[in-house]
Amino acid sequence: MSTLAVHAEGVWKIFNEGANNEVTALSDVSIDVGKGEFVSLIGPSGCGKSTLLRVIADLIPPTRGSVSVAGVTPHEAREKHQYGMAFQQAALLDWRTVRRNVELPLELAGWDKDKRKARALELLEMVQLQDFADHRPWELSGGMQQRVAIARSLATDPEILLMDEPFGALDEMTRERMQNELLRISKATGTSVVFVTHSIPEAVYLSNRVVVMSPRPGRITHVVAVDLGERNEDTRESDAFYDSVTAVREALRGRATPVGEGGARLAETS
Amino acid sequence: MASRTSTVGSRAKRGLVSLGWALGGVLVAILLWEGVKVLGSIITLPFETSDQAMPHVWSIVSGAMQPEVRGSDTPVWQTVLIAAIYTLVIAFGGFLIGVAVGLLLAIVMQRFAFFERGLLPFVIASQTVPLIALAPLIVGIGNRISIGPFEWGQTQSIMFIAAYLAFFPLSVGALRGLQAATPTQVELMRSYAATPRQALWKLRFPASIPYLVPALKVSAAAAVVGTVVAQISTGGRGGIGRLIIEYARETTAQPAKVYVAVIGAVIVGLLAAGLVALLDLYLTRNLPKETLT
Ligand SMILES: Nc1ncnc2c1ncn2[C@@H]1O[C@H](COP(=O)(O)OP(=O)(O)O)[C@@H](O)[C@H]1O
Ligand SMILES: [Mg+2]
Repeated sequence: MSTLAVHAEGVWKIFNEGANNEVTALSDVSIDVGKGEFVSLIGPSGCGKSTLLRVIADLIPPTRGSVSVAGVTPHEAREKHQYGMAFQQAALLDWRTVRRNVELPLELAGWDKDKRKARALELLEMVQLQDFADHRPWELSGGMQQRVAIARSLATDPEILLMDEPFGALDEMTRERMQNELLRISKATGTSVVFVTHSIPEAVYLSNRVVVMSPRPGRITHVVAVDLGERNEDTRESDAFYDSVTAVREALRGRATPVGEGGARLAETS
Repeated sequence: MASRTSTVGSRAKRGLVSLGWALGGVLVAILLWEGVKVLGSIITLPFETSDQAMPHVWSIVSGAMQPEVRGSDTPVWQTVLIAAIYTLVIAFGGFLIGVAVGLLLAIVMQRFAFFERGLLPFVIASQTVPLIALAPLIVGIGNRISIGPFEWGQTQSIMFIAAYLAFFPLSVGALRGLQAATPTQVELMRSYAATPRQALWKLRFPASIPYLVPALKVSAAAAVVGTVVAQISTGGRGGIGRLIIEYARETTAQPAKVYVAVIGAVIVGLLAAGLVALLDLYLTRNLPKETLT
């Protein structure tokens, strides 16, 4: 078990249970994410992708079911800064410089000043923003802000990255650059990623597995394994890429064979 | 770096521009005053424009130079200045107390929804009590309070009224400000396992600045008006309010005198506004200009 980044079993999330505005956002969701694995969640709006991410992050409790993150409870994982998060909005703090934005999680984790600063500069170098360390976030473009947010999510060197449509607000060109950057970083740091997206090509390009969800009630319907090997400039034009895109599209339309009992478990061999 | 200096530079420029506007405003006020007097000598206006009721600007200036009472060496302006400073100090005290109470209430209301529901109606209702009108009563009650070496005097009563008027706009503005952080920012703080106190200091409080600054301006104005009016209605010694009543009684002998005191009150208001403007510059030094108010 301790080799898994995320282990969720039989997770239900019912908002306003018992009231007449009751919503079953997650229904019997099971998912395992291996160490260093990149898993995308895809599905129409309202199918519970953000809810699942929030449950994993201990931002909201599940109604039923069990979740472990990096081998401990989500609560412990949060207290120990074992995951980093990024959202569609970079949500940087206007009054802090770029560097001090990246330092924020470190401040809250009790790092001392010099170590914080050194770590933040190292991360900014990783996202190629070292020259903007002393700028304010509002002086940066949307893509640059999102890179700062990614640097910040990696600050405490977490085992897991939880990302909710982080590139959703970026233009296509910037988006593809950011995807490459994210792959490079997650590979270099060995970080596992759970990545929510609306874009099929994005999910396929980034992931080892694409988890397809469907709404009312929110549940996992398919898991598409993607095997494209090392990504490079030609990947997006390869036949294997198109095949995987088609497989995910079919799954979203409900045409492919759905997952059976056990949900999105890893194959025993992987 | 370059952009930082240019920000500072453009701020200094903005400061100069507003100073220019202020001086222009004084000039316009003088011209209007004298213009109305000229107009009143040509046609009949619904109010008195004689030199007795509206002395010329230069009479007011020379009135300010005259001795306070016959034979004394203290000119009127000096007495007015001392009273103005005294009033400013009381208003500042009231402002500080009002800000502290207002902030505390806002923090409690933000933190506990229960208190927001329970407390906010009372905060709003508090302003329907015309405390200024009740000023003599407050003084009467206050005079009976004495805790050890501390004696509640007239000054405390006046400061209390100023604080009472100042806390309201501040608590309402600060509450809105403390709720201004985006849900995503709040979730991020939670994901970092920030304690409520850390979330307050590192997120909610700085995020509230764009709301806090206008609230501070309104509170400062309320504290000054509250102090002057409370001084008038209680006859509190030493302040500009008391001086206005005293000089108003002497208009037959020295019509300019009361206007010197009124100008003194205006200066108190301007100084208070200036102090808050400096605070504004400090608090918003790191924020983009678009969010400035
Ligand atoms: N705090 C909440 N209270 C009530 N309903 C919620 C809440 N958060 C999400 N929901 C509902 O749960 C469902 C799943 O939402 P969400 O996880 O945000 O979907 P997605 O991210 O896939 O678009 C939606 O029907 C949404 O309206
Ligand atoms: Mg969502």
